[in-house]
Amino acid sequence: MSNYVLKYSRDDRVKYISHLDFIRTFHRTVRRAGLLMSFSQGFNPHPVMTIAMPLSVGVTSSSEYIKIGFAEDYSETEIMEKLNNAFPVGFKILAVKKTEGKELDFAKLDRAIYDVELEWSGNDFNAEKFLENKSLLVMKKSKSGEKEADIRPYIHSFEVTSQSEDKMTITMCLSAGNNYNLKPDTVISAMEKYTDGFKVDFFATHRAKILAGNKELL
Amino acid sequence: MAYTKRDKILMRVQKPTRYTGGELNSVMKDKNAVDCRWGFCFPDTYEIGMSHLGMKILYHGLNKRSDTWCERVFAPWVDMEAEMRKEDIRLFALESGDEVKDFDILGFSLSYELAYSNVINMLDLAGIPILAKDRTESDPIICAGGLCTYNAEPIAEVFDFMMLGEGEEIISLVTDEYIKWKKSGKKNKQDYLKEIAKLEGIYVPSFYDVSYNADGTVMAITPNTEEAKPVVKKRIMADFDSAYTPEEVIVPFGEVVHDRVMLEVFRGCIRGCRFCEAGYAYRPVRERKADHLIDIADKLLSCSGYDEISLSSLSTSDYTELKELTDGLLTLTEEKKIGLSLPSLRIDNFSLELMKKVQKVRKSGITFAPEAGTQRMRDVINKNITEDNILKSTRMLFEGGWTNVKLYFMIGLPTETDADVEGIADLSQKVLDEYFAIPKEERAKNINITTSTSSFIPKPFTPFQWAKQDSREEIVRKQDILKATIKNRKIKYNWHDNRASYLEGVFARGDRRLLPAVLEAVKMGCKLDGWDEEFKFDKWMQAFERCGIDPDWYLRERSYDEILPWDHLDLGVTKEFFMRENEKAKRGETTPNCREKCAGCGATSFKAGVCYE
Repeated sequence: MSNYVLKYSRDDRVKYISHLDFIRTFHRTVRRAGLLMSFSQGFNPHPVMTIAMPLSVGVTSSSEYIKIGFAEDYSETEIMEKLNNAFPVGFKILAVKKTEGKELDFAKLDRAIYDVELEWSGNDFNAEKFLENKSLLVMKKSKSGEKEADIRPYIHSFEVTSQSEDKMTITMCLSAGNNYNLKPDTVISAMEKYTDGFKVDFFATHRAKILAGNKELL
Repeated sequence: MAYTKRDKILMRVQKPTRYTGGELNSVMKDKNAVDCRWGFCFPDTYEIGMSHLGMKILYHGLNKRSDTWCERVFAPWVDMEAEMRKEDIRLFALESGDEVKDFDILGFSLSYELAYSNVINMLDLAGIPILAKDRTESDPIICAGGLCTYNAEPIAEVFDFMMLGEGEEIISLVTDEYIKWKKSGKKNKQDYLKEIAKLEGIYVPSFYDVSYNADGTVMAITPNTEEAKPVVKKRIMADFDSAYTPEEVIVPFGEVVHDRVMLEVFRGCIRGCRFCEAGYAYRPVRERKADHLIDIADKLLSCSGYDEISLSSLSTSDYTELKELTDGLLTLTEEKKIGLSLPSLRIDNFSLELMKKVQKVRKSGITFAPEAGTQRMRDVINKNITEDNILKSTRMLFEGGWTNVKLYFMIGLPTETDADVEGIADLSQKVLDEYFAIPKEERAKNINITTSTSSFIPKPFTPFQWAKQDSREEIVRKQDILKATIKNRKIKYNWHDNRASYLEGVFARGDRRLLPAVLEAVKMGCKLDGWDEEFKFDKWMQAFERCGIDPDWYLRERSYDEILPWDHLDLGVTKEFFMRENEKAKRGETTPNCREKCAGCGATSFKAGVCYE
């Protein structure tokens, strides 16, 4: 068995696929590509595969990672070509790297950079004033239900890259992964809460990068 | 990037991939490069429609034509429909996302009567006039196919035409004629309809006038134009082995009902169960060769990446090359680590061996359909299976380690007595006794028997088409008998909602006078009637009342000399045969299957399949 880490993107056309549906779609893609997956041992064997930081429904991304075991030792280019030919339109393998042991460890992923496009109305939003807040208390979902939390320490950068009278684009770097995961949705609710009369009518999120210690895995 | 209204509502609804298209093997074309845009409309949700074999065949078949683009259209779920109506988004097709009101032809698949309200609702949501007479040459042509078209009279006036029988060939012929008509300037829709009415299998409802007697029965069904045949006969693919079958299949992102490759082994059924419309409608039986099927299976698996394949047909055990087929498929599936899911086969040594080889079956239950609880009743419905067969088979299953058995029955069958109903409980108990007769150390633990009853609904083009359907009260009474007689806690009793069966029964043998009630019910919010949580029986009853219709009347017994609302349609089995079978049923006489002895049903006229083996 050989292990590989794959980096892939998903665009608007496939952004509504849920995490579980993506797993099924990916298994089918591998079978269609004619690549042989490694299966776990046991009563109900299933393919050996890990996905880093499952993406929310509706979010596009240019930086997703999968770790997968293949039954044979394929070349990195063969995997990339075959999967790209077999993927539904909207997915693309960007990089493949064979890996052994603990390098390319998904557990080390701790930040993500998001590009958010939003449509707004009401009063102006001022990024500087927003970031001056020492704390940003908002309702945040956690495993034990919804409770108020201070998200300010987990916003590592926040920049309004363009703004018009009803649209705005923002790039933000947020804590992500197993330790603390902050979604752009939560930041947007803080923007509304801490700016009187500012209202977000619609937003679309793109995950540009996920990082481990400020570096991309691939 | 600019986000459309549709993008925005997709963020708010359940299962958005129902509405986005883009699945693997879905077909994209340049809409400006085709002459005809087809919308294949399935009047139910995506998950149901995407499991429908007929759609898979016709979709890919039409898309093989370079002059035509066929797209898929489904009924949105309630949340999506509410958003669409709020945002003024009309019904759209999945591939292009374009509104279907601008398409050339929309074809509805009518598989079950409870989807009628969805047809009406979808047209309304599309912004297309519902009745054929209200549509102009600039509206799409609306047509239908599928099993219900043998009597879709309750909503017949919605359709410009219907296609009776198997659609592979006819759908292309009506497309040819459409393109000719379109290129000639689409002057008069009647010209197009008159042209296609000459084709076998085409039924144009507006070409027939129906008159009624004072007692409410049909007086006459009269063609009103010379192009309309007095009787429209169904169409079949006589050479089924070489008939078109797609070598690709769309792979949905979300889970659908049948989320696997479906292999159509044969069409038709030799059995002749007297309650089963499908058993007569697809006559004569025509098979596909085993080696051909294995080749198709290989292609479908390779192009889809599916990890499961199932066999599709009525009574699959009757396939003459079953051993060759399953041997070949097992080689294929073992090699590719793919699951083979078996339909309900007759239990014998062969199928038991087969099931042991196929691991997936062990986990799920095994289903038997004795259909009736006593031998007398099974003879009446011509279900040629004896109690001894059933008990021996279940014994074999229990010995083989299975402990999960489902038993399917019907209640409300013609001539049924309370003793026949109690027979269902007896037979379930006898099956359980077989399990306990096996020494404890030789049987697996946790026996689980599920006995389910559905309510019999007399269907057109069956020997029981004249029969009375039990009232709701009578069905409930019989269900109560079973609830009281099935005492053992190892047997779980499930029963079907009598209200849904009632409505299905009204439509199954309904006539054109039901249309106002269907329109009214949809106006009152009825749709997705096949879904328990959406079914609004009270509103349906109000709709009938408002339209002055007594739905009970449609459940009554008919006499042989009554003109039936579907008498101008012909599925190739004669009325005389159905009468003979009905008389035999009353006497409790069985009829041998097509391979044992020809019963003279009339299907030899198609000069195909089992009739000429």
